[in-house]
Amino acid sequence: MASTVIGAGITVEGEITTDEDVVVAGTVRGKLTAKESVTIEHGATVEADIAGASLIVAGSLTGNVTASERVDLQSGARVIGNVKAARVTIADGAQFKGNVDMDI
Amino acid sequence: MAANVSIIGRTTRIRGRVTGDVDLEVQGFVDGEIAVGGDVTIDAQGMVGASVRGRRVVVHGAVKGDLLGEEAVVLEDGARVVGDVRAPRVAIAPGALVRGFVETGEGAGAPAKTARALQPAARPIAAPVRVAPPAAQAHAAPPAPPAKPAERVAQAAPAHATGGNNVPAAPGPRRPPPPVIPALKKAKGQIAKKKER
Repeated sequence: MASTVIGAGITVEGEITTDEDVVVAGTVRGKLTAKESVTIEHGATVEADIAGASLIVAGSLTGNVTASERVDLQSGARVIGNVKAARVTIADGAQFKGNVDMDI
Repeated sequence: MAANVSIIGRTTRIRGRVTGDVDLEVQGFVDGEIAVGGDVTIDAQGMVGASVRGRRVVVHGAVKGDLLGEEAVVLEDGARVVGDVRAPRVAIAPGALVRGFVETGEGAGAPAKTARALQPAARPIAAPVRVAPPAAQAHAAPPAPPAKPAERVAQAAPAHATGGNNVPAAPGPRRPPPPVIPALKKAKGQIAKKKER
């Protein structure tokens, strides 16, 4: 399903650009730009600005997020940064510190 | 679940380092160093613009940089590699293109410190090759002259082969070279005649 997977145990330092879905279970530092969905799984560590269509976070994220569709912070997620998207959900149990801009 | 295998997808472009302890598959483009503890597979569509290091590195695509395998490096058909290849075992399949230094054997993969690993290995290899011919010549020195004269003989008359051997021993009186090249002889004769005239 996901075309690009940064698995657990993999660290990417730099810039990732893709037209596909991205699943991060490892570590990403830098910048992540996708045209489709981005999933940050439980246990993943991301220190990057993220741009994508949709973002699902269950892991740890530090950085600003811009999504053209939606951002979902799931239970167990830990997010520090500003989130900009048309739709944003924050599940019970998610930790979040930052601004939310829902394009009103 | 999907996290067991790490894949850099076909349209994915990474500028930067990729490190880790697990396997990695590159279908897209990585412009930066890859260094993982697991196996690295670079697909036919995959491209890497810097060095790649892994336990076992299998290349179907393109790499511009050094390849270093702790166990093996396998360059499959369609692989294009510009850079040095080092691993205990290196396989280059028919159809794979390589431009660079290739080193196999123990110590080729693990040390990994590129240039220093290369030079000590290269010198011992080069040295015996250079040493061997002089030794062979030294041993063969007494009987060897026939080899060189043989070449001369082939060009000139066989009868003077013995004369060729005598050249170092008796330099003065007999000079086989003059008869060897008639043109010079004629020229000398003509010159001599002109001088005489």
